[in-house]
Amino acid sequence: MLELVGLTRRFGHVVALDDVSFSVAPGEMVGFVGPNGAGKTTAMRIALGVLETDAGEVRWRGRPVDARVRRRFGYMPEERGLYPKMRVLDHLVYLARLHGLEPDDARAQAVRGTQILGVADRSDARVQTLSLGNQQRVQLAAALVHRPEVLVLDEPFSGLDPVGVDVLSGVLREQAAAGVPVVFSSHQLDLVERLCESVVLIHRGRIVASGRISDLRDADPRRLVRVEVAGARPGWYERLPGVRVADPLPEGAVLELAGAAAAEVLDAARAAGEVRTFTVVRPSLTEIFRRAVGA
Amino acid sequence: MIRGAVPIIARREFVERIRDKGFLISTGITLLVLVVFVGAGSLLAGGTSYDVGLAGADARALEQRVVDRAAALDIEVAVHRFDDAAAAERAVRTGDVDAAVVDGDGIVVRSDPPADLVAVIQAVSARERAEGALAGAGLTSGEVQTALEQPPLAVRALEPLDRRQREYAAVGFIGVLALYGQLFAYGYWVAAGVVEEKSSRVVEVLLATVRPSQLLRGKIIGIGVLGLCQLALIGAVGFAASQLLGGLRFPEGVLVVIGLVLVWFVLGYFFYAGLFAVAGAIVPRQEDLQSTMTPLSILIIASFFLGIEANQHPDSLLAVVTSMLPPSAPLVMPSRLILGEAAIWEGLLSAAICVAATMALVPLATRIYSRSVLQRSRVRIRAVLRTPREE
Repeated sequence: MLELVGLTRRFGHVVALDDVSFSVAPGEMVGFVGPNGAGKTTAMRIALGVLETDAGEVRWRGRPVDARVRRRFGYMPEERGLYPKMRVLDHLVYLARLHGLEPDDARAQAVRGTQILGVADRSDARVQTLSLGNQQRVQLAAALVHRPEVLVLDEPFSGLDPVGVDVLSGVLREQAAAGVPVVFSSHQLDLVERLCESVVLIHRGRIVASGRISDLRDADPRRLVRVEVAGARPGWYERLPGVRVADPLPEGAVLELAGAAAAEVLDAARAAGEVRTFTVVRPSLTEIFRRAVGA
Repeated sequence: MIRGAVPIIARREFVERIRDKGFLISTGITLLVLVVFVGAGSLLAGGTSYDVGLAGADARALEQRVVDRAAALDIEVAVHRFDDAAAAERAVRTGDVDAAVVDGDGIVVRSDPPADLVAVIQAVSARERAEGALAGAGLTSGEVQTALEQPPLAVRALEPLDRRQREYAAVGFIGVLALYGQLFAYGYWVAAGVVEEKSSRVVEVLLATVRPSQLLRGKIIGIGVLGLCQLALIGAVGFAASQLLGGLRFPEGVLVVIGLVLVWFVLGYFFYAGLFAVAGAIVPRQEDLQSTMTPLSILIIASFFLGIEANQHPDSLLAVVTSMLPPSAPLVMPSRLILGEAAIWEGLLSAAICVAATMALVPLATRIYSRSVLQRSRVRIRAVLRTPREE
């Protein structure tokens, strides 16, 4: 179990983290979600020992984490970084060695990493000659090269093309299935929803909600319907009595029933145009998050 | 376990740089320039040599005497015989010989008579004719010899030229030059290497596994070992070239200089490396490096000029003082040692001061480095030292 316990960090007068606690169980994949500047990167940096905390501690398997233990963590910082002039394979071998692997093992792991992430054909190329997407794959290979016991990834999906997203999703699922606690931050909430069982929502340095996504949904009392109507006048749903717009969509909206019955909304939709979709939905992560931060 | 990180980091610094084409090419150019320099030096320093043509009567008698007399004056003369005056003149005209003696009674040169050669020939010829005249006056050959064998006047130099000292100074100068170049280049590499890690953001990946102090140590050691190897190679090639091409009367001086330069490179490099690392750590981009490196550049350039000065006046007060102070000692002390102006204990003392200064600087440099290396903007050293975090 990876535990962040009561982490607090200030930068001058700015409180970046205020008593942040959450944990990631072995084999669990946790999405770490929050707007820019919420404190995600600070928390992850503290978990990896890149930054120091003012208060609180990071624990792994019940013990405070030290440099030796952190060496077995895998980390992908938000600011991607590799030596631009180093060759891909050399770079991975080097990082594996720094994480304590023996030379032969390091090489084997580096080769494996390039194969898994589909950059084996660029092994001898310098990092700076790779496309950004491929650099990102190498970066992920770097985080995985030493068979980490824990994975902490800061915005691993940003900048990836859809194929890259699939590759990375697969790799993370495998890691979690192998018993590695995985925590990653992301702005792509739909992706988090698809991949993670649990989430931690952070806002202005504080955890505003955390737990299994299904539990968070169940705890959300709102009743939502998704309505899509072809040929309707834009915003037809905005003035319906007892209805709040939760999330506008191209041809309709997710509406919260605040007093109105579902049937009334359906009638209004029929009157507006040709109904394409009408479903009762559970709140999405975006809606849960909005509600948690009171937006 | 974690201690092992420093050699791994050092190894990367060494291997990645030695593989670099630019590095190999510049090393090659340095060696080439060195060989050309040594070759040119030995050509210039080598004793004067002339070709002399002889034609007509008395040629045989003159030949040996000219060669002997010239050798006594440290002039090398090669004699060429010609069948007649016309052939000798032709050779003079084409430059095959520097001067020709025709029939023992005239010297032919093309335009500008080489003074020392002409003096030799004149002296030989004068002696020849004096012998003839004395013999004609009825003296026996024994009497002739006695009359002409007058001992040369003794020469007393008020400021005698010490050839050994002079050569040591010349070799020492090359040593100072090499040290200066090497300290500057490798110091710059440390700074540029630190900035590269900052600007490429790889430093965050690295700091998730190693401590900043390990990263810094590994970098400095790796680059330093490379600098030492390159310097040793330059020394070896320089020594080999001077041996093969000749031109050195006191080759042991070169060996001493090479040894001193290597030792003082290590001392000076470690002294400066921490400072260069700080210069790199407090700026966000390569373009900003120039500004923070300027004070260091000035320090090294000033030390270089002090080194040259000490090479010429190793006994001056300035040289004595600057050979003891760490920033300049690496560039000043080698000259004073090779020229015999500093005793071995002085060298050891200066080295000890340099090591002590380095030991005092390293923790400070490590602290500034550790606290600056993750910052994205330009860092103020004073502010960094005040914050109590990020060891």
